[in-house]
Amino acid sequence: MTRPLSLAAYALTAILLAGYALVMWWVIHPKVPESYRAYYIDQTTTCMNQPVAGTYTLGTVVSFLPDGRDAAKPLKPCGWEGPTGDGTHAVGTSSRLRFSWTEPKTGSLSLSLDLIAVKKGGVAMPQTVDVIVNEQKLATLKVGADAPSHFDVAVPAGLVADGRAEVVFEFPDAVQMGLTDPPTRWRSIKLLAAGLVPA
Amino acid sequence: MTDAVALRPARTVPLDVTLVLIPLAAAMVGLVIRYLAFAATVDDASLASFADGLCRWDCAWYVRLAEVGYDGFPTPNLVNGGNWAFFPAFPMLVGVLIKLTALPTMLVATATSIALSIGAIRIAWPLLGKNLYAYTLFAVFLLAGPFSIYFTTFYTEVLFLFLTVCVFAALSQRRFLLAGLFAAGLSATRIVGVFIVFAILIEVWLDHRARGGTWRDFIPAVFSRPDLLLSFALAPLGLFAYMAFLHFKMGDALAFQHVQRAWGRPFGLPPVFVWNALLATPKEGFIPTASQVLGATTIVGYILAGVLLWKRRFGMAAYSLVALTLPLFAGMASMLRFVSGLAPMPLMLCELLGRNRVVAVIALLAMLVGAWYGTVGWLTQYLALV
Repeated sequence: MTRPLSLAAYALTAILLAGYALVMWWVIHPKVPESYRAYYIDQTTTCMNQPVAGTYTLGTVVSFLPDGRDAAKPLKPCGWEGPTGDGTHAVGTSSRLRFSWTEPKTGSLSLSLDLIAVKKGGVAMPQTVDVIVNEQKLATLKVGADAPSHFDVAVPAGLVADGRAEVVFEFPDAVQMGLTDPPTRWRSIKLLAAGLVPA
Repeated sequence: MTDAVALRPARTVPLDVTLVLIPLAAAMVGLVIRYLAFAATVDDASLASFADGLCRWDCAWYVRLAEVGYDGFPTPNLVNGGNWAFFPAFPMLVGVLIKLTALPTMLVATATSIALSIGAIRIAWPLLGKNLYAYTLFAVFLLAGPFSIYFTTFYTEVLFLFLTVCVFAALSQRRFLLAGLFAAGLSATRIVGVFIVFAILIEVWLDHRARGGTWRDFIPAVFSRPDLLLSFALAPLGLFAYMAFLHFKMGDALAFQHVQRAWGRPFGLPPVFVWNALLATPKEGFIPTASQVLGATTIVGYILAGVLLWKRRFGMAAYSLVALTLPLFAGMASMLRFVSGLAPMPLMLCELLGRNRVVAVIALLAMLVGAWYGTVGWLTQYLALV
């Protein structure tokens, strides 16, 4: 190599290394939305909160079986798979529903839920489900696996005054179905129907 | 090498022409076999639907990448699995070509893949000991073998293999800077491509030893050679360029790694995954399960890496061991594709099979028959092929 070429090679090497150092700085200082950080980076949730519209008609109960696929789709930000023939399956250690409505409020509301717990290898896996609405825990449900259970969770009127309900289901007893399944694949309940109805 | 010369058949056409005709013939034969398998498997199959019809599994991701590019966050269809997981080099290449030609994406991708395979085969000639049987087998393996789908449709394996062959061909000629340039492309093709830097380092060390150097003067010797330094610095350029792109696009330079969570891949020790895969026996009958096929493929991969070590091809062996082992921490998925597309593996396999004419002919026929079954398996969603 001639001297000018050698100098150019040294200079290019130095520039590349400086560039790599800058990229490594970016690696340890990501600039991402909170939901992205929680799911992908910190892994503090298995439910990646997607910006679905939550379009919903107040007072209706939406089927989470295949017949209600279209109505249910905008209500599911994360943590659900399906619907299949036996409901929409919760995946991970929490799931989320979003209800957003324009109808004027008519009084107290009740969160209507039809749930059934999963079975593992034919064995029932009863589930505890914590229900949180707009960041306030409202109920802890015990869900069996033999037959669907219906629940009505009272929702304080003031909590959903702005026509929006962010419903989070937490599954402390979620089950690892396969030997190597990561928490994002753990199973707990199947949702058959949900809605906000007059109490 | 001398055996190889002795095994070389008498030629009536110049060697250079032969070396081009063999992969061309393999490409034609492969296309015919895959089309016949396609026509026998898919309803309403036609020549017009052939290229698109073979586009299965991850191929659809690559097509979208070539046509539209990378998604932002959140993704347009609000799924967790963003396409940042897929490295840019090959879809970007096809993307440029479809812009230039205005031809259908899969047609361009298929033609590009076949051209890259032919290029890889021709460049691999010296790496195969200049053995015409091994060369023919390698051509058939890529273009008309059971896993030819990976190298003739729209999968990143073909560019990965092409660039790997280029790196090792450059290293065999002690052209380290050129090897570094190819390595830069390799690290933009698949994440494991960045580990080719170990192969470069080993070859630099062997070159140093061959010149009478010792370990004491190795580092000063490297620093006194700016071409070597630049070669090492170039190798990860593709990866870092992609990370810089992701930083500007997503705000997360490691988005390609973080997004793996959305695929729900397990994390564990490779020996445990391989053992569990081998023990996943069929519920009835004796046909191995997909898991067992993946487990057996992985074992074959390690055996071939061992043969590379035994033959003192330390650069290839080290790179193969790293590239085989790293994906295994996330389970057995796609190991058949990874092993097939890891250039030193098919190179070593074909070299071994090409040492004996009878074995070579049997292997060639087996590969051609395998092309049929591989294509049918691909189209009928045989999980081991994914």
